[in-house]
Amino acid sequence: MINSARLTYFLTVRAAWEVIRQPAFEIQNIFIPIFFLAVTVGAIGQVSGAAFGVDNYVGFQLPVAILQGVAGASSASGLGMVMDIDRGYFDKLLLTPAPRLSLVLGRLFSDGLKVMVLTLIIIIVGLIFGSGMESGPLGVVALVLLAGMFGLAYAGIGMSIALKTGNPQASQVGFLVFFPLLFLSPAFAPTDVFAPWLEFLAAINPVTYILEGMRSLVLVGWDYEALAYAVIAILGLGAFTMTLTVLALRGRTR
Amino acid sequence: MPAILTEQLVKHYSAEIKAVNGIDLSIDEGEIFAFLGQNGSGKTTTVRMLTTLLRPTSGRAEVDGLDVIRQGSTIRRRIGVALQEAALDDMQTGRELLTLQARLYGVAGNGVRERADELLKVVDLEEAADRLVKTYSGGMKRRLDLAAALVHRPKIVFLDEPTTGLDPISREGIWRYVEVLNKDMGVTFFLTTQYLEEADRLAHRVCIIDAGQIVAEGSPEELKSSIGTDVVTVRVGGGAEGPERAEQALRGLEGAEEIRLVGDSVVIYIRDGSAAIPRIVLMMNEASVPMAEVTLARPTLDDVFLQKTGHHLEVGAQAAEPGQEARG
Repeated sequence: MINSARLTYFLTVRAAWEVIRQPAFEIQNIFIPIFFLAVTVGAIGQVSGAAFGVDNYVGFQLPVAILQGVAGASSASGLGMVMDIDRGYFDKLLLTPAPRLSLVLGRLFSDGLKVMVLTLIIIIVGLIFGSGMESGPLGVVALVLLAGMFGLAYAGIGMSIALKTGNPQASQVGFLVFFPLLFLSPAFAPTDVFAPWLEFLAAINPVTYILEGMRSLVLVGWDYEALAYAVIAILGLGAFTMTLTVLALRGRTR
Repeated sequence: MPAILTEQLVKHYSAEIKAVNGIDLSIDEGEIFAFLGQNGSGKTTTVRMLTTLLRPTSGRAEVDGLDVIRQGSTIRRRIGVALQEAALDDMQTGRELLTLQARLYGVAGNGVRERADELLKVVDLEEAADRLVKTYSGGMKRRLDLAAALVHRPKIVFLDEPTTGLDPISREGIWRYVEVLNKDMGVTFFLTTQYLEEADRLAHRVCIIDAGQIVAEGSPEELKSSIGTDVVTVRVGGGAEGPERAEQALRGLEGAEEIRLVGDSVVIYIRDGSAAIPRIVLMMNEASVPMAEVTLARPTLDDVFLQKTGHHLEVGAQAAEPGQEARG
């Protein structure tokens, strides 16, 4: 167990260096959410109070920007794995006595760290735009941790597809899946103003609970119930994607 | 106990794709064993089964006395593998790659750094050690890959086409390392190659594989002697029909053990080839078939390959010229 953790750590460091040495790949994961944050706030921010009772629309949108950035960045996990498979380096790792799961977890943990840094950058931008943070500095830490957990869980989608198919295009599907989930959540307005059918879909969408948990830290303070729902949603998503990943890993190494 | 043993080893990817069809091998400790065959002949599939990357369809295989299916994890601790086309991570430096590899194999503490430094010296990459692998030439990548395969001091090393695409100088370098490791440290090598010269130069024993089956096995000298004749090659002019007419004309050649039509040439296996050449020239003249060239040679492994498989060894990726390394 200790040995597995040690080897996972070394593989995490290796994957982290890959990111540090190619920073250009991460620019879009920062630029796109900040761009959407600015545009959405610019378009709706003036009327959000009158329309659906949200006065601090920057704060309302900040978690959306974070989730966008995290989903984009963690989808790249699959692409990194495909590249390892494609150039044969994954086979080289499989030929070592290291536990097979460590080979996957190393990359996933690296993505968890990456999205936490990215989240911190987006939060700083949000604060500059005037989002505020009702839960204070510790709330920033909690927001970063939630984003890291979500990134880890979400990366499992691209990772499992990468291990199953070894196809770079297919491994990017994770990011495409995220958009319907985001639009079927209270990303732009509270669920109170949703049509009944959309309200129902939002209620069964795990992104809704993650978003509302994050949003509570920005707009409300420490709402433990909202946070608990967010953690449960992330753990549920993580259990699902990790199961897919382990099955795909078994299929590849059989 | 043999270092590597297989009994009726089979791998079928599907009903149509039968990559390996019942291979029996017994390779001794300290041997350099070469698997010679064309692309698609089953070489790499055999290596992947022996190195535990691929599960055999049927049959049995043991490496260092351990079963490849049931004891894969233990086997992986004892073998080193350099796969086809230097499988490396371009975004690590050479030193980082070796250090990570050493850690994954359980080399501990200060030993990691020392082992990486030692291997970088062995493969002559000390100066490039802190450069990213993506800046390495094909030959440097191959040498680093070889070093990575040796990081845990394995008893048995598998090299899958270790010099394909390399220029002659880089190839020579790889051969030298293999010879030194085998001679000084007793490392057993199982290498696959499509280069006759590589098999001839390095291997104690060569096995020719064609369509997933072994068609000949022995030392390079034994294989060449097995032909037992000289090889006279007559390159024929006279258009498309020339070679066929030449083959017909030479059918009555006394002493010829075998005559084969290969491309624009007729290959004749015959004892005392030098004495036979005047008769060959005469018969060709009588049949009015123009000759472009006549060569006499002792049999090479290519002749053995031709005789056993019915075709020459067609190399997919010829060795590059110096300074023109094809790829890693």
